[in-house]
Amino acid sequence: MRQSRASSLVLSLPWIVTFVLFWLFPLLYSLVMGFTDYRLLAPEFDWVGWSNYRELFADDDFLAALKNTFVFVLGTIPVTTVIALVLALLVSGGFKGRALFRAGYFLPSVTAMVVIALIFTNLYQRGGYVALLVQLAGLTPPEHGFLFDRATALYSIMAMDVWMSVGYYMLIFLAGLKAIPNELYEAAVLTGAGWWRSFRSITLPLLKPVALFIIMINSIKSFQVFVEVFVMTKGKFDTATAVYFIYEQGLQTEFRFGYASAAAYVLFVVIALFSIVQFILLRRRQALW
Amino acid sequence: MIRIYLIVFLFFALLGSQALAKTTVEWWQFWTDPSVKPTIQAIVDDFEKAYPDIEVKLTDLTWANGHEKIVIAFASGAGPDVLELGSDWIAQFAVAGHLRDLSDNLSADSNQYQGYSMATYDGRLYAKPWILGTRVLFANRDLLNQAGFEPDYLPVTLDHFKAATLRVSKLNGVYGWGSNTAEKHRLYKKYLPFFWTKGAQVFSDDGRYCVLSSDLAIQALQLYKDLHDSCGYVASQRGIEDAFLEGKIGFILSGDWLLKRIELEKREINFVTTLFPGLKFPGRSFMGGEFLAVNAASKNSEAAIKLIDFVTSAQAQVRFCKANRSANPSSKQAQQDEYFQSNPHLQTFVKQLSLSNHPPVDPDWVNIETIIEEAVEEALFGSGRPAEALRQARQKITDLKHR
Repeated sequence: MRQSRASSLVLSLPWIVTFVLFWLFPLLYSLVMGFTDYRLLAPEFDWVGWSNYRELFADDDFLAALKNTFVFVLGTIPVTTVIALVLALLVSGGFKGRALFRAGYFLPSVTAMVVIALIFTNLYQRGGYVALLVQLAGLTPPEHGFLFDRATALYSIMAMDVWMSVGYYMLIFLAGLKAIPNELYEAAVLTGAGWWRSFRSITLPLLKPVALFIIMINSIKSFQVFVEVFVMTKGKFDTATAVYFIYEQGLQTEFRFGYASAAAYVLFVVIALFSIVQFILLRRRQALW
Repeated sequence: MIRIYLIVFLFFALLGSQALAKTTVEWWQFWTDPSVKPTIQAIVDDFEKAYPDIEVKLTDLTWANGHEKIVIAFASGAGPDVLELGSDWIAQFAVAGHLRDLSDNLSADSNQYQGYSMATYDGRLYAKPWILGTRVLFANRDLLNQAGFEPDYLPVTLDHFKAATLRVSKLNGVYGWGSNTAEKHRLYKKYLPFFWTKGAQVFSDDGRYCVLSSDLAIQALQLYKDLHDSCGYVASQRGIEDAFLEGKIGFILSGDWLLKRIELEKREINFVTTLFPGLKFPGRSFMGGEFLAVNAASKNSEAAIKLIDFVTSAQAQVRFCKANRSANPSSKQAQQDEYFQSNPHLQTFVKQLSLSNHPPVDPDWVNIETIIEEAVEEALFGSGRPAEALRQARQKITDLKHR
C-alpha cells in the first residue's frame, strides 16, 4: 500500500512540479506583485499596499477596458448560446449531408484565431465584402471600414467571435441532445405533445446542465478576450479589453508589472463573481424548471 | 604507451584551448526579410573572416514582440552582447542601466555619422546609428496633371499643399491625401512633420515643461484634421499605400519601403518624391532609425564594439541598403555612394533626412508617443476638437513626468 502511494506520488510528480512552477507560483507571485510598484526595467521595488488597486479604479483607460469587456461578454454569450443551440437542433436531424454541415460549422473552432482575425480584418475593411453586404441590404457601411469606426469596431469583433465559437458549442449541445433518451419524446408524442411542447418540456430542461457548462466556459473565455483585439485593432476605436489593458501596462508601455498584476487580479475576481452568480441563478432556475 | 596518451591529451588540450580562445558575440537583430537576411549573414561572415577569434551568434527578433523580448532579457539579467534598437528605446534602456556607455568608444567618429543625437542621453552616448529612416511626400504625377497643374508642379508650402490635395480630390473617385487611421506607432509619425514644420515642440527649450498644446501645435493638428476631413483616404498605412499605387490618392507621406515595394512589385505608377512642404520650402519631416548598442551586462564588450563598427562601416551599410533598398544609411560616406547619388528618389530621402527632426530623447518617450497618438486620434475620430485633445495630452504628459 505504502509502495503504491509512493509510486503514485512519483508518477504524479512531473505534473505537480509543472503545476507548482508554472501555475501556482506565478499566480501567487503576481498576487504579491499587485501590492508593489515593480517595473520590469527597474528591478528595485517598494511595497505600495492597495495603491495600485485605488489607481486602477480611478484610471479611465482601465474602466473603459472593463466596460468593453462586459459589453463583449454580455453581447456574445447569449447570441452564441442561442445560435449554437439552434444549429445543434438543425444538424441533429437525420437529413443527408448533416456530417458536412457539422464539420463546416465546427471548422472555425479549429482554425487559429490569428488567421481568422486577419481574414475578418480584410472582410471588414472599406469596400470589403461585409460593406458590400450591408450596402445590398440598403444600409450605409462605416465610411472608413468597420474596424476604423468607434460605433462599429467592438461589435464587429464580437460578431466574428460569435461566428468562430458557435461551432464548438454546437458540438457540445449536440452531445447533450444525443444523451436525451428517445423514450421521452415517444411518450410525449403519445400524449399528443407537439414539437414546441416537447422542446420546452423535455429538450430544454434536460439540456440545462450542458447550457450551464457552455455559458460558464464561454464567459471565462470571453472575459479573457485578447488575440482578436490585438490583431484587429490594437485596442483602438474603443476596443481595448481588460486583458489588452493588462498586456499594454505590463509589456508595452511602462512595463508596470505591479499595476498590471493588480489589474489581472481585479479581472480574476470579476470572472469568479460572474461565474458564481451564473451558477447560482442557473441552478435555481433549473430547480424551477 | 604513456607517450601516446600524452600526445592524445596534448592534442585535445590544444583543441580545447583553441575553442576557448574564440569569443562568441551574440547579436539580436530584426532583419528577417528573405531579401535582407542573407546580406546580414554575409556581413557577419566577413566580420568573422576579418576577426577569426570572434564568432557571431545571430538571433532574429520581430517588430511584433522584439521590444518585449529585449525588456524581459534585461529584466532577467541576461540578453545578448549586441542589440539592434529602435531610436525610441535607447533612452529608456540607458536610464535603466542596461546599455553600456559608449561615449569613449564612439565619439571619435561622430562627425562621420548622422543620427548620433538620437543615441545621446544626458551627454552620454549609448548606441551607434546604423540605418536611419525618414518620410517624404509621394505625389501621383498623373493625378496632378489631370487636376490641371503644370507638368512639373509640386507644392512647396503647407498652404499650397492643402490647396493641391483639395484640387486633386475634385477628380472622380480620387482622394487628395492618404490619412492614417488610429494605427499604433504610426499615426503620431504622420502628425509630427506638420507639428515640427509649424515650429511646435513637445517640451520647452529647457526641457522642463510640456508645451504640446501651444498655438502652433493646435494649428498643425487643425491642418492635419482639415486634410483628413476634407479629402483624406482613411486607412492603415498598408491600405493607404495600396490605394496610392492604384491611383486613388494624390499625395501620401511614406518611407523608403514604398520605393522597394514599387520596384519589387513592378508597379507602373507615374509618381514623384519631394521634400515635405514648409512654411517656406522645405518643411521638417520625421526621423527615426535603427541603432546598435552593447548590453551593459556583456562580458564581450570589446568584441561587441568591433562588430558594431564593422556592421556600421560605410561599405557594409551600402551593401545592406542595396539589399534592402534602404535610402538612409547613417554613414555620411555611404550617402555619397553612386547608388544613392544616381537615384533621384533616394536623393530625396537623403536630403529630407538632414531636414528632419527626431522625437525628444526621453526615457518616457514610448508613453509620451502613445499620449500624443491618442490626442491625434481624439481630434480625428472622437471629439474633433484639436485644442482640447492637445490640452488633455499635455496634462497627461505633465502628470507622467511628475510621477
